[in-house]
Amino acid sequence: MKAFLTTLFGDLRNCRVVAALLASEAAMVHSGLTSEAAFAVPLLTLAGIFWLARPIR
Amino acid sequence: MSWTIFAPAFLTAAVEWVEAFTIVLAVSLTIGWRAALGAAATALGTLAALTAATGGVLQLGVGIEWMQFLIGVFLLLFGVRWLAKAIARRAGLKALRDEDEEFATTQARLSSGDGRAAWLIAYKGVLLEGLEVWLVVVALSIGGAGWVSSVSGALAALVMVALAGAYLRSPLSRVPENTIKFGVGAMIVSFGTFWSLEAIGGPDIWPMADWSLIGLVAFYVIGGLVLSTALRPRILRGVAT
Repeated sequence: MKAFLTTLFGDLRNCRVVAALLASEAAMVHSGLTSEAAFAVPLLTLAGIFWLARPIR
Repeated sequence: MSWTIFAPAFLTAAVEWVEAFTIVLAVSLTIGWRAALGAAATALGTLAALTAATGGVLQLGVGIEWMQFLIGVFLLLFGVRWLAKAIARRAGLKALRDEDEEFATTQARLSSGDGRAAWLIAYKGVLLEGLEVWLVVVALSIGGAGWVSSVSGALAALVMVALAGAYLRSPLSRVPENTIKFGVGAMIVSFGTFWSLEAIGGPDIWPMADWSLIGLVAFYVIGGLVLSTALRPRILRGVAT
């Protein structure tokens, strides 16, 4: 079961990154920054990928 | 047939089927080809049922924005993980996945187990690797439009890997897995970003509509290459101190 859940969702760090991205998307859209969101979200996603790729200290 | 859907489905599936084949090959040396292929076929049957059921749900007219959001979230969960791992491997922070090593590890685990355990290892291996293929097939079939292309891509990859595996009789360690994972990771993250934001912000949120996807793929490929280069000197500094 654990292997199944890990395959679907990844680990906790992975879930945190995606949750933060979705929260940012929702916040930008609801505060009217829709045109900025299309440029900011990919940058934020790349920042999240960087955080996941770097070695854990 | 849409080749823009076929290609990512084919490449993602090829990587996962190679991993599944490695496990089945190791198991076959313990319990024989017939039993190992039986376990693999059972797992593939489970995946086919899952894919058919999901396809049925997609055709039921569930709100497209809800489907986009759900699939977008799963693609982000899946894509950021793949791309981050591929970047870490390119940067030398993580060992490249070695199918020969995976083969040896599976065989070592099997040597102490019984036939039933070996069957379960082959079943679970094919099912878990295939789940990632299922996710991508479903995601690329959103709205039912790309169903044929994405399923064809996954099946073509399965046939190719099975034929190559049967011919080579080796764990296919020559497949440049990290390069494929890097490219596919960028594509999957792009689809995830595109759909999750479109589901939240509406269909006009992307400045170039569907063409924005090409820009997103380019952005993540270039960004990933920059990140893997930026991360590389960190370990060199770590070694020097």
